[in-house]
Amino acid sequence: MSNDPMHQFHIERIATFDIGGLDASFSYASLAMVGAVAGVSYLMWQAIKPASLVPGRGQLAAETAYSFIENMVRDSAGEEGVKRFFPFVFTLFAFIFMANMIGMFPYFFTATSQIVVTATLALIVFATVIIVGIAKNGLGFFKLFAPSGVPVYILWFVVLIEIISFFSRPLSHSVRLWANIFAGHVLLKVFAGFVPAMGSVGPLGVVGSILPFAMTVALYGLEFLVAGLQAYVFAILTCIYLNDALHPGH
Amino acid sequence: MAENDPLPDDDRLDSLRRRVDAARAEQSSRSAPAKDSAASLALRFGGEFGAAVLVGAAMGFGADQFLPTKPWGLIFGLVLGFAAGVVNVVRVAQTYAKSHPVDPNAPRIADDEE
Repeated sequence: MSNDPMHQFHIERIATFDIGGLDASFSYASLAMVGAVAGVSYLMWQAIKPASLVPGRGQLAAETAYSFIENMVRDSAGEEGVKRFFPFVFTLFAFIFMANMIGMFPYFFTATSQIVVTATLALIVFATVIIVGIAKNGLGFFKLFAPSGVPVYILWFVVLIEIISFFSRPLSHSVRLWANIFAGHVLLKVFAGFVPAMGSVGPLGVVGSILPFAMTVALYGLEFLVAGLQAYVFAILTCIYLNDALHPGH
Repeated sequence: MAENDPLPDDDRLDSLRRRVDAARAEQSSRSAPAKDSAASLALRFGGEFGAAVLVGAAMGFGADQFLPTKPWGLIFGLVLGFAAGVVNVVRVAQTYAKSHPVDPNAPRIADDEE
């Protein structure tokens, strides 16, 4: 067993595929993502199957998640946002939440601790904002970069700043999810690694190793909070950005 | 059922609806936004600022590759990135302040000047 806190992020191939010189191997990261999709699909299917008027536990959980996301989309993107983007936001939230939760199992891979995964999700949102914004508002979408009420002589400067601000979105969007999950898992592994390290130095070490062990348990609880909170933060930021596609004027 | 509930069906439905609404209102007032930890706030503000600086510098550097302006694109882009970072932070702070209003009943903080 390795005590290297970074070892858990190492991607190992399960099956090697090569498509036109591109390494499209099926890795443990792929497995974790397939597992997240399968987990969400299975739980939702099981929850919705009875479809009773008085919901059981599973159905209640699914309906709570549904209305939670629906209210979130309505709050930040309005009724039109719910109509257009609810399935997208719900899929993102469910996938990230499940990927984070799968990562909480010891020895399991955390897909969201890879910046490639979070950056891909953020870029999908970014591309959706641009495509939907231009398809819906035409050139009016570019009003996003020119806030109303700015004097003409300073407008070029404001537009440049707004463009940089706009392009910095996918970066901060992806880094926030990745950094939280990555840092949390490193911290967990470091404190957990102290336990056998202290325990191997003698009887006093065994007694002392209770401290890092207690810390690991506490951090584990905190990581569950982070896993849920970061999925929520990713989804609510997605809503805020999608709102810009629908209503580009500031 | 009729002997222990004298109300007609419509009134019973109304009364149920009122109780559900009351319970729902109470629940929504209790489930106020979770208090973010200081670390997550710092990470959010810092991330927004840093991302804009990086993107500004990268765009300036990219412009230098195509225009004969080296190294002014990078310098100018970096400065604009800082400005955009401040804009980002102000926006995040505005949304944060909107979702976390100051408690009007909070005790006053003593002023150092007095």
